Amino acid sequence: MSHIVTIQTEVRCRESVTAACRRLRLPPPTEGTHRLFTSEATGLAVALPAWRYPVVCELPTGTLRYDHYGGRWGDPRQLDRFLQGYAVERATLVARRSGHAVHEEPIADGSIRLVVQMEGAA
Amino acid sequence: MKTIEIIVSPQGEARIETRGYAGAACQEASRLLEAALGVRQSEQLTSAFFQQPLTVQNHLSAGGHTNPS
Repeated sequence: MSHIVTIQTEVRCRESVTAACRRLRLPPPTEGTHRLFTSEATGLAVALPAWRYPVVCELPTGTLRYDHYGGRWGDPRQLDRFLQGYAVERATLVARRSGHAVHEEPIADGSIRLVVQMEGAA
Repeated sequence: MKTIEIIVSPQGEARIETRGYAGAACQEASRLLEAALGVRQSEQLTSAFFQQPLTVQNHLSAGGHTNPS
């Protein structure tokens, strides 16, 4: 190995949001202005299981807008699951578009490992 | 073999690790993935990062033979 980088995921890619919803068997995301209890948010909305209000992805800034009222209106672990699915889909999309093969496998702790074959890369 | 391993935690945080690279080439290789995923939180350089790439070592060796003075 030669270097290790830790990345805080930002949701900025529409195609990867759609792919994450497909992976998690969620309804397709919908564009528009959405109500979040007393406020509104405009962007790409994802309906998480048993969440009262959607998670709205503001793609230009990478900001997520939501209101789960401390977990009463939605399990925060569903949001974590979406973020994990998004990151996996985003990395896979970028690697494959660059011409690299990607192998995916689950890890016992709930993480997902992707191995990108770079041999022969420029 | 040169590979990039990405481990995405259950919370959605990504850890990118390059393997099989010598020198700073690993940073170049993973830059696109890092930028696509989000904001860098930390970076750890390993011993391989400070090794000279093999092509540079070969070049220096050849230079020694062609310049006997």
